[in-house]
Amino acid sequence: MTSTDTTTAGVDIESLNLSFDDTHVLKGIDLSIEPGEFFAFLGPSGSGKSTLLRAIAGFGPTPTGRILIGGEEIAHLPPWKRNVGMVFQSYALWPHMTVRKNVAFGLEERKVPTREIATRVDAALEMVGLLDLADRRPAQLSGGQQQRIALARTIVVEPRVLLLDEPLSNLDANLRVQMRRELRELQQKLQLTTIFVTHDQEEANTTSDRMAVLNDGVIQQVGTPMELYDNPANLFVATFLGTANVLSGVVEDADGGAQFNAVDGAQIPVDSAERGSRNLMFRPQNVVIAAADTCADADGVRLTGTVRHVEFLGSIIRYGVTIGADTVLVDDRHQQGAPVFAPDSQVSLLLPRDQLMVLES
Amino acid sequence: MASAFKPGQRGPALAGGLIALFLIFFLVVPVVQVVLVAFQDPNTGAPTLINFVDFFTTSLFQESFVNSFYVAAMSVVVATIIAIPLAYFTTRFNFSGALLIQTLGIIPLIMPPFVGAVAMTLLFGANGSVNLLLDEWFGFTIPFMEGLNGVIFVESIHYFPFILINLSAALNNIDRSMEESAQNLGANGVRLFRRIVFPLAMPGYVAGAALVFIKVFDDLGTPLLLNINNMLAPQAFLRITSIGISDPMGYVISVILVAFSLLSLWVSLLALRGKDYSTVQKGGGGLMRRDLRTWEKIGCYAVVILILLLVLSPHLGLLLLSFGTIWSYSVLPDAYTFEHYVTVFSEASGYITNTLLYAGLAALFDVIIGTAIAYIVWRTGLPGRKWLDYGATAALAVPGVVIGIGYLRTFHSFNVPIIDQPLASWWVIIVVALTIRRLPYALRACMAALQQVSIMLEEAAENLGATKGRTVWRVVVPLMSGGILAGFVTSFATASVELSATLMLVAVDSDAPLAYGIYEFMQSASGRGPGAALGVIGVLFVGLGTYFSHRIIERSRASRESTAVVAEGATA
Amino acid sequence: MNNHKSGFVRVASLALALSLLAAPLSLPAVDGTLTIVTSYPKDTTGTFKKAFEKKYPNVKVEMLKKKTTAGIKYLQETAGSNTADMFWASAPDAFEVLKGDDLLIKYQVKVKGIPEKVGSFPINDPDGYYKGFAASGYGIMWNTRYLKAKKLPAPAEWADLKKPVYHGHVGMSAPSRSGTTHLTVETLLQGKGWEKGWAEWKAMAGNFKTVTERSFGVPDGVNSGQFGVGIVIDFFGLSSKASGFPVEYVYPTVTTLVPANIALVKNGPNPEAAGAFIEYLLSAEGQELLLDPKIRRLPVNPATYAKAPAGFPNPFKDSSIGSAVKFDLGLSKGRYNVINSLFDVMITYRLDDLRDTTKAIQDAEAAMAGKSNAQAADLIAQAKALVNEVPVDEATASKKEFNGIFKKKRKKSTTQVTGRQAEVEQEWDAMVKANYAKAKSLAEKAKSML
Repeated sequence: MTSTDTTTAGVDIESLNLSFDDTHVLKGIDLSIEPGEFFAFLGPSGSGKSTLLRAIAGFGPTPTGRILIGGEEIAHLPPWKRNVGMVFQSYALWPHMTVRKNVAFGLEERKVPTREIATRVDAALEMVGLLDLADRRPAQLSGGQQQRIALARTIVVEPRVLLLDEPLSNLDANLRVQMRRELRELQQKLQLTTIFVTHDQEEANTTSDRMAVLNDGVIQQVGTPMELYDNPANLFVATFLGTANVLSGVVEDADGGAQFNAVDGAQIPVDSAERGSRNLMFRPQNVVIAAADTCADADGVRLTGTVRHVEFLGSIIRYGVTIGADTVLVDDRHQQGAPVFAPDSQVSLLLPRDQLMVLES
Repeated sequence: MASAFKPGQRGPALAGGLIALFLIFFLVVPVVQVVLVAFQDPNTGAPTLINFVDFFTTSLFQESFVNSFYVAAMSVVVATIIAIPLAYFTTRFNFSGALLIQTLGIIPLIMPPFVGAVAMTLLFGANGSVNLLLDEWFGFTIPFMEGLNGVIFVESIHYFPFILINLSAALNNIDRSMEESAQNLGANGVRLFRRIVFPLAMPGYVAGAALVFIKVFDDLGTPLLLNINNMLAPQAFLRITSIGISDPMGYVISVILVAFSLLSLWVSLLALRGKDYSTVQKGGGGLMRRDLRTWEKIGCYAVVILILLLVLSPHLGLLLLSFGTIWSYSVLPDAYTFEHYVTVFSEASGYITNTLLYAGLAALFDVIIGTAIAYIVWRTGLPGRKWLDYGATAALAVPGVVIGIGYLRTFHSFNVPIIDQPLASWWVIIVVALTIRRLPYALRACMAALQQVSIMLEEAAENLGATKGRTVWRVVVPLMSGGILAGFVTSFATASVELSATLMLVAVDSDAPLAYGIYEFMQSASGRGPGAALGVIGVLFVGLGTYFSHRIIERSRASRESTAVVAEGATA
Repeated sequence: MNNHKSGFVRVASLALALSLLAAPLSLPAVDGTLTIVTSYPKDTTGTFKKAFEKKYPNVKVEMLKKKTTAGIKYLQETAGSNTADMFWASAPDAFEVLKGDDLLIKYQVKVKGIPEKVGSFPINDPDGYYKGFAASGYGIMWNTRYLKAKKLPAPAEWADLKKPVYHGHVGMSAPSRSGTTHLTVETLLQGKGWEKGWAEWKAMAGNFKTVTERSFGVPDGVNSGQFGVGIVIDFFGLSSKASGFPVEYVYPTVTTLVPANIALVKNGPNPEAAGAFIEYLLSAEGQELLLDPKIRRLPVNPATYAKAPAGFPNPFKDSSIGSAVKFDLGLSKGRYNVINSLFDVMITYRLDDLRDTTKAIQDAEAAMAGKSNAQAADLIAQAKALVNEVPVDEATASKKEFNGIFKKKRKKSTTQVTGRQAEVEQEWDAMVKANYAKAKSLAEKAKSML
């Protein structure tokens, strides 16, 4: 049975496992995407994010588990019956057809009457702002234009879900920023459930409502960008999204609470119920660097160390401070005229307690 | 004068000049001569169109023209029909018989079509094996070999590998995302094929089809042996040999053959220009493949085996004929014997040695000239270098018959010094004809080989002190070796079975190569057994050569790839 | 020192003089290369080459294979710088052409035992230019298995081949492509007369399955069973049979025995070896080679027949072979090219039309059997007349100027030409095509009446 429902739908994936010959690539994926959401699959290369996306579209080896779109099981349907629109990384525009014919393709397959095809194609091209290029061939278009045509081709058939496979990675840097904003606007206008695969956290952060971080075929964490950033579930997510300071050590009982005993000797009180070998993570921008004799306030922790290197990053001065055997990165906002600590100087690092996170490895 | 060339260009310029002279003397001049005679009044020598008028108003020639066209077109069609399922199986499925299909593609090429023609008549003729059985069991016969059908049948079986190779390559060049995006938008099956796969594969296919068309159009040996004379090439041959070297009709036909060849080449070029749809992207090229279900596997193998039988039938028939005593109006020969092989080895070893010599020399010249032209075109900025390429490739448009006629006409009064013999009847002219005819293929192989050698490898050598010449010898040629060897073997294999030009140029029996020997032996009223035996030897000989060359190329490619992997690994 | 030198010189010049004197006393050496232009197949040339080279080890024999017509052209074209020593072919008229072009030289045969005539034909050229070494007749061969399977009777006479039962089962070559076929056609024309002869050929040709490109194509076709009956020169039939093929051969009554010939070419490079070759051919040993199963030609030395196998035709004993027609070589020579073109235009290139028309006529006649319908009979007669019409009469066919149209123009020719070959042939073709079409419709009409 072909799915003919065209209102946007949510995507549910249950216990999805997929292998290429002997390699187990997707391991037990469970995921729920809300209708109308702009959802990102983020991860390093080889993490399985593209494979997962293609599995939803119906390409690649058959997985075990369930894929539901709007509550309907689609895992057994061939790609041409799923009605999920996919934009390929290479755009995959057919070189032997004009732009117009490319965009009209899906409608022709759906036996839409010719009149209506013409109207809808024009509307779709209008939406991406390229109606005047309708009679050109793909070879005559720039990368950005091709990408928009690929998009138009997909949305004109009004799919229930839109899948984008690294759509911006073939564009140059400035174009990328512009395009991701336009994509977001378009998606919001159409209220279309969209899944977007990328390895670039900035793209994921700026465009998605929620995202899933994948590593080695396993979903590490699902949540909004800020959630994942502020409360990473594990070390991988913490270090993948943004810069992190990580100290390893042991969490033990201490005066009615817990204390983190770092390997290098620092002892830091933490609010955590966990005990045993752990990592302590905190972000560079949450550390305050001050003169060596500055004290911490009640909610803070103080560490002392020596400045090892200083990097001027424009709006930020990044210090590398040695504490024991570790080097801690501190991002200090640069204000014109403010004092800069020199290498080899003794400094105090003040960490607010609630910014400390205890993570498993 | 020396200052006109940059340092390091004098060598190539000299080589280029010599090659140009060679091409002019042995390609341009004879063909121009033929064209001129066609436009000359045979009595007065004045320019005239009267010969062409005579040609087109004579019903025999009109018929020949139409027949040649029809046969060539139908051969393309039938060859395509044979090739399509095989191309489909190898590009669409993970078909374990892919190697089998590759071998299938080589088998026909190692036997000249005219040798197969004789065997095919015995197998598929009106009273041949297949029809005798059909008539006995089912009461009907199929006119496989009646009239023009016979030519079409034999030619398509021989030439379908060209179509197969081009079709497979064209299909393999289509990026997978082209198909996936179409499927994503709802297309599947036949519609998908018709709208996406077919149009993207077309240019590659047309290029191959046009080539097959010319080859069939120009073929002399097959129609001759099948006793079909109302086609253009046989008519040209007959006119020149029966009526004489001054008969204008032979030249008129030559002009028409050349014109059509040029037309086909042009069509082929047009098809590829600007429509090169090969886009190899991340994720790999080629269509999506899937595994076969068991019954599908059986079906595929059944089709492949059927085609294999068809393709092997000339070879089988030839084998039977070579071992058979008498084969007359029966499904199989009456009895079997080794006698024919004995006859051949005692009487015909001269043909084999001649072939080794001629084809070997021709192939050698071809790769030397081919490498030189490739280097001059791609690595030097010499003016007019493109014309070397065009000139050498132009030989594709000149059929063997026309080369033969042209050489006879141009060189029969030209006496070679020392030997004091007309050039047209000296065995070396056969080598020259073979060289010219096979040069385009060798050139393409050399060009492909050269383009795989990064220019930076040469620059590194020059940076370290090697002259241009030393660089070419120590760096470029060794790196091209696989491609050069491929070019050599292809030239050799095709030259050793060339008949069209040979038939016209062989003067004495002792100068005759293999193909001619087979042709001669096949005209014995006491039986064709020895001819078939010679044919089998020729086929084995070419087949083995091809096999060994493939092994060598594979080995050189593997060694190149392993060094590449090592290099990559070192930088990872 | 001077004495030594002058002494040495004297001795040397004396030795030289002696050797020069000695030279004419020795026989000319038979060595070097012997180049023979020949239309014979490998079976014949190979056998003789091997035997001759065995006898004269210093000679290397080179065979230039050319069809008779091509061979003539070749010798004409290379006359200025001739490299060929001999011309070895069947048709005497080909030799006449070469003789007329002054391309041969006379030779005096030393071997004894060769009679003047075979059948009613002189064996050697009375002018002494070319020599006969074997005799050949023309006749019919057939495949016994084929005839059995298709239930056809074995033929015996030319007239048999006109019968409807053989429709589509007969093969032959064309005079323009085969010297021997040319002789066959001429023989029947001379035997039956111009009109009747052509009528006979057309009626037979109406039964043809094919006109082969080479004379060899006929025995080949019969041997392999492609068609059942072939019109061939005798040695094709006899050697096929001797090689084991299921075929038989017969001489019809109207046939002639014509010698196959060999001659020395003028200005040949090696006349000594050439002479030796002729002597060998005509010697007892050489004549015996003709009996080889692969060759099977009739020797011209009557003594050789003692060694022949049983049943081998012997024209010197059996006078029925080849006596019906006294072959006029001059007549044949005079209209050589016209015959070639006529046959091609009327038969070879119009075979399909002729075949269909003949079938229609045969069907009409079959329908007419036993009935009497004057109108239908008349239509059939008309149809046949149309088919038999020849665009050229016998007299014109022999005219020198007319023949000149069909020759290639040579620079030193002074003959006037009234039209071009292509033009004339196109006229003929148009006439013949129209005739056949009309005849066919007449025959069909006749049949519909019956």
